[in-house]
Amino acid sequence: MVFNSYTFIVFFIIVLVLHNLPLPWKVKKINLLIASYIFYAAWNPPFILLLWLATVVDYFVGKGLYNQQNKNKRKLLLVISLIGNLGMLIFFKYGTFLLENFTTLVNALGMNYHPAKPSIILPAGISFYTFTTLCYTIDMYKRKSKPINSMLDFSLFVTFFPHLVAGPIVRPPQLVPQFESPRTANQKQMLQGLLLVTLGLFMKVVLADSMLSASANQVFGSKEMLSTLDAWMGVLAFSGQIFFDFAGYSTCAVGVALCLGFVLPQNFLYPYAAIGFSDFWRRWHITLSAWLRDYLYIPLGGNRNGKFRTYINLMITMLLGGLWHGANWTFVVWGALHGFYLWVEKIITDIRHDKVKAISVTPAGAVGVLGPVPEILKKRNASNFMLALFTFFLINVTWVFFRAPNFTSAWHLLTSMFSHVPKGAVLLSTLSIIKISVIIFFVVIFHWLMRNTRVLIVAEKLPWWLLGIIWSVLLLLLIWSQESSSSFIYFQF
Amino acid sequence: MEAPNLKKAGILALVLVVIVIGSWEHYLRHKGYNIAYDDGDGLWANKRAMVYEPIDKATVFIGSSRNKYDIDIYTWQSITGDHPIQLALEGDSPLPVLDDLSADIKFKGKVIVDVTERLFFTTRSNNVDEPKEMVAYYKERTPTQRFSFKVNHLLESQFVFLDKNNFSLYAILEKLNVPKRKGAFAEPYEYPIEAGRITFDRQNIMMDEFLSDTTLRNHVKAIWNFYEKRNTELPAKDTRLDSFLIAIKKSCDKIKSRGGDVLFVHTPSAGFMLDGENKNFPREDYWDRLLTFTNCKGIHFADYSPLNHFEIPEFSHLGRPDAIIWTRNLIQILQQEKGWTFPHKKNYCCK
Repeated sequence: MVFNSYTFIVFFIIVLVLHNLPLPWKVKKINLLIASYIFYAAWNPPFILLLWLATVVDYFVGKGLYNQQNKNKRKLLLVISLIGNLGMLIFFKYGTFLLENFTTLVNALGMNYHPAKPSIILPAGISFYTFTTLCYTIDMYKRKSKPINSMLDFSLFVTFFPHLVAGPIVRPPQLVPQFESPRTANQKQMLQGLLLVTLGLFMKVVLADSMLSASANQVFGSKEMLSTLDAWMGVLAFSGQIFFDFAGYSTCAVGVALCLGFVLPQNFLYPYAAIGFSDFWRRWHITLSAWLRDYLYIPLGGNRNGKFRTYINLMITMLLGGLWHGANWTFVVWGALHGFYLWVEKIITDIRHDKVKAISVTPAGAVGVLGPVPEILKKRNASNFMLALFTFFLINVTWVFFRAPNFTSAWHLLTSMFSHVPKGAVLLSTLSIIKISVIIFFVVIFHWLMRNTRVLIVAEKLPWWLLGIIWSVLLLLLIWSQESSSSFIYFQF
Repeated sequence: MEAPNLKKAGILALVLVVIVIGSWEHYLRHKGYNIAYDDGDGLWANKRAMVYEPIDKATVFIGSSRNKYDIDIYTWQSITGDHPIQLALEGDSPLPVLDDLSADIKFKGKVIVDVTERLFFTTRSNNVDEPKEMVAYYKERTPTQRFSFKVNHLLESQFVFLDKNNFSLYAILEKLNVPKRKGAFAEPYEYPIEAGRITFDRQNIMMDEFLSDTTLRNHVKAIWNFYEKRNTELPAKDTRLDSFLIAIKKSCDKIKSRGGDVLFVHTPSAGFMLDGENKNFPREDYWDRLLTFTNCKGIHFADYSPLNHFEIPEFSHLGRPDAIIWTRNLIQILQQEKGWTFPHKKNYCCK
């Protein structure tokens, strides 16, 4: 089920009513769990079995990991969990990709091997719920927190429908304690939740789907060399589309949970106002960045084994982060490009180490992963704005690899962007160019103005009549756009 | 915790939404627009799911827009007592849908295929991608998509403004008179709303305003002319044409082997559209060969005086009053000359 569907509206009204009835807390949690399974099964019912399997295996393995004293048995349990979770992910998400690469390799070695192309359907959100369950079992192995004693609470933690299929990727301490005592939304939470849902749907339905997706699809679907203007406009359109699509989903998820009285972590903080790439990853898909930091970068050694290893660990993290997004080498290159940008940024930071240390609060190992935002980056001055624009420019280059179906297409687009292509194809209409230019201009300005605050804080400060007018405009454009039921881009990840 | 400001803002937002939407709806109704439906994948899949009725009960129409305008399915239903199912798609080839129906062993019904040669004998992605996507959507529909379609239908049948093709934000922005960019694709005119309203049964109907407005009709003629000139694909010949015919025959044979039937129909056209069809697709090389090769029955409008005396408002499709007569006459020919029977038909006297 997607948030931008009539089915979800009906579903959510029923869930809200049930959640606010005077029922025992356990019954309400069972209601939420059943609702979450319906939410997932409404897409493809058989795949709910995978979700159940992951839940049951990780619940018992998690308990065993925490309670087991024998080191070897603990390791064995961890391996079972890793094989179970990653095995499913690899089979469903990377099975075809691995087979294709294997076929290419053996054919390159002179063997004539042409297997039938497997037809594997990717279960929605498998990458997200795999990471959710993985972090639980790894935490249990490290005894970072206590195991969840209630199967109901654990199932709800894994399956809670607002975060189930596209994040935010939640950790047990962020959500499980909220299941322990009865909660419903108070008036303020309910209204804030509804405001966030409206905003999220507006971002997804109006801006991503109605305004930008057609232009992005047109440019990235072209097999020709394009005029420089068309190439740039197409990339900017995708830049806006991917942000509004994914941040819209996350905003809806946070809003939906808030309407039920639960708080989910923020996933986006105005990433197109980032100054540098460390800052970008503090603002883009924050819960994934944090996951990669805690369960990949730091276990690899982080910055503890010298500068050279830090660079290597950083690149490995970004390469695997890229691959997490999709089973295609283009995603790996996307990750590599981000890793390269982070390298360059770290080299500059290392050179200016003393100066930065004197004025910032950045921990030494914060490059490439999360950390507190340095004070120097919080300033909204002209030089920082220019740096943010430069970062945005470089991010747009990375999106070419993220969206292009293959390297030929990516190369065509990059060539069109950075060189004059005589007789390059003219694809986009005047109206499309106006739409993209206006939206991207306001995105950059809005992100810049909002980079140190939050939308709900700003909303509370606005006069009620002005907030009411803005809210109505969002709703009207949402209704008027009449785009519904299109999938979110991140569902495929 | 109370939030008086948010509460007041929320109430104001709701009031403004109701006022603006109500005014917009009132304005559209005042302008004479009636309810129309989004003819997208949801509606197509809804109709596709209806083809499994007994062979003597349902007739499936596939092809391009000509079937959607010229066959008046309400007339068809009232005369024959059959359930007509409209699966034709504007500007598209019928072959992917024919292929889908033939591969569906549960389907044993009658199919009427509209032959508009330029769209029929082609593999251009512009003309075959959409039907393939529709078929794929039908096969992969999720429970949530089915339910959303039902809710959407409930709303669409109440509000004129929920006409996605004409009154959505995207559609209205596209209708703005923004200067055209040199070199970019752009139709010479915006396709008029009045040229085709779509019912829930996927019937396209020209509004009276369109039939009486020469300027609007000329705009649509100019759009057809634009596409005619733009189309650089050479008509299929020799082995390429053979491969079409082999594939079509295979599909037709499969349907007939299950007790079904396939009939080809060439609906009327006029002006440069007819000239282009006659010039590029000579009848003996295409239409006649199609019938001979597939061993299927066919009705070409040019062969029957009850089918070839109509004025075609924009050279390609019939207006509703004529479509009713055309359909009535077609049924009569089917019964009298092609041996089609309609056991569920009501007592109807032809005039």
